[in-house]
Amino acid sequence: MSDRPVAGDVVMTEPASARLERAPVLEVRGISKRFGAVRALHDVSFALYPGEVAGLIGDNGAGKSTLVNIIAGSLQPDSGQIFVDGVERHFESAAQARAAGIETVFQYLSLVPTLDMAENVFLNREIFAFGQLGRWLRWMDKAEMRRQTSEGFSRLGLTLPSPRTKVAALSGGQRQAVAIARAVIWGGHIVVLDEPAAALGVKQTEIVLSFIERLRAHGVACIFISHNMEHVMRVADRIILMRLGEKIFDAPAATTTAPDLVALMTGAISARTV
Amino acid sequence: MVQHAPSLGRAAGHTSAQRLRGIVGWAQRNGLFFALLIIVVFFATRSDRFLTLTNLHVVLLQVAVVGIIAVPGAMLLTAGYVDLAIGSIAVLGSVVFGELMNAGWSAAPASLIALLVGLGWGLATGYVVAYLGFSPVVVTLGGLAGARGVAEILSQGFTKYGFGSGFAQLGNGEFLGIDTPVWIFLLVFLLGSYAWYQTPLGRHITAIGAERAAAHSLGVATRRIPFLLYGASGLAAALGGLIVTSQLDAASLSIGINLELSVLSAILLGGVSFTGGRGSLFGVLIGVLFIGALDNGLVQMNVGPYYQRAAVGLALVLAAALDVLYQHLDRIPVEASETAESDARLAAGKGGAA
Repeated sequence: MSDRPVAGDVVMTEPASARLERAPVLEVRGISKRFGAVRALHDVSFALYPGEVAGLIGDNGAGKSTLVNIIAGSLQPDSGQIFVDGVERHFESAAQARAAGIETVFQYLSLVPTLDMAENVFLNREIFAFGQLGRWLRWMDKAEMRRQTSEGFSRLGLTLPSPRTKVAALSGGQRQAVAIARAVIWGGHIVVLDEPAAALGVKQTEIVLSFIERLRAHGVACIFISHNMEHVMRVADRIILMRLGEKIFDAPAATTTAPDLVALMTGAISARTV
Repeated sequence: MVQHAPSLGRAAGHTSAQRLRGIVGWAQRNGLFFALLIIVVFFATRSDRFLTLTNLHVVLLQVAVVGIIAVPGAMLLTAGYVDLAIGSIAVLGSVVFGELMNAGWSAAPASLIALLVGLGWGLATGYVVAYLGFSPVVVTLGGLAGARGVAEILSQGFTKYGFGSGFAQLGNGEFLGIDTPVWIFLLVFLLGSYAWYQTPLGRHITAIGAERAAAHSLGVATRRIPFLLYGASGLAAALGGLIVTSQLDAASLSIGINLELSVLSAILLGGVSFTGGRGSLFGVLIGVLFIGALDNGLVQMNVGPYYQRAAVGLALVLAAALDVLYQHLDRIPVEASETAESDARLAAGKGGAA
């Protein structure tokens, strides 16, 4: 996954027509989901291309988290299709989505502070030594896991303390970066980030946002969910705006402004007037 | 001092924090070991017999049963669970063995059934706690009363005794000059260390105890692992009960009283957090030896048993204080220069990519 062609900055400057010629890594078509009488999602479709960061925004109750949970495999849609790399998938669990290359980094990060970084990166994906015998004995190759952790971080351009450092000793921004890096190291070429900078200070937020920007260079496609319009406008190539369970706006970030998006989000103006 | 210059404030803070972390990290790894050395030296100056090979045998023999049960016990506690029923499972195993021997069984199958009863009790506990989500403290407190109650019903209060010389080997035999129970403890500890340090089990246990939801979302067996650990704890408790039965040559109803206190003391002194998520098996080994040396040394000094209890109590309060300290130390940031550099590089990276 790491050797996939580097899309990098070209993606951002390409015209939309050129983008359409390439295959999307993720495509959802006509996704609907109801919870009893509540219509959480209605006929939502969009496509995500390699190296693209899509900012998913919307007010509370717009259906963002339902959509994310469906993509992550934690929820099943009532109708609609999901294509990953052009192949239709039906996820029955988060593990299946992960196996298909969709890694979701939730706000709570899934990191264990009392374990070190290498232990966290390889948690429940441990590498065993001595081939078949080692697998049978469950004898871990700890040095190899530390080596791959360091190597993965440096490949993604992250400079972090030794992989033996406990996650408890990392800053909030570093933890986010570790969680995202783990997703990418594990072959996630589609990374869903749920409010990654929600609880962080300015400096810590900067660490996370610049790391997301650099994932483009590795061909990783991101869905970035945030309430913070400034963050979205900064990192997103494209804005997808949800309102009352429907997608009402989907366009390159450069073609819109934060005040317009806020007006759309709250329903003050309709999509046609933008 | 230079450290108070504003521009260096943050880095200097990190450096001294770093140094403090180094010192206390060292103390955390070795502190109890040195505490053990101190009490050994102290008792050695107070009693001629304390630091003798014979007494070392006595200490090891005294702690063997506690140590055997403390290995799965430490794993349970690190995973955020606790087994308070171990003393009662020990006496239940002992009584089941005694009754079967009384009914004419031979020692080997009777021992096997006693071990299976301990395993079964542990697994049943594990099922209701890990799968059904019942409170570990409440359920095993029930086990503490219940298993002893079942033992009393089975024996009707009569102690069975006289199990023959073969069975006596379990508690009193020796091999290469080391007592059988000590060999068993050594074996259990080595197996436990392998599982803890060389297989994924140790880190999975830590993950379950520290961040259950995170562990679950990564597919760690957050229910199966504690379920099986309760089984191991019950099995170890029954084994401990059989060893004491062999030493006494009697299935006495006094077996296992306050055993949970000794086992938990050793585990907590060994640095395992009572709320789970942090612990090491080597620490627990030192904790077990510490309790053994303390008990034995106080006996050598002719201090009454009441004082021994009080000393263990005091040691536990100190362990609780250390636990709070460890929690703070875990959070001290590391390597200021590297962190600052990575932050700067990250910030620079954004400029480069645009």
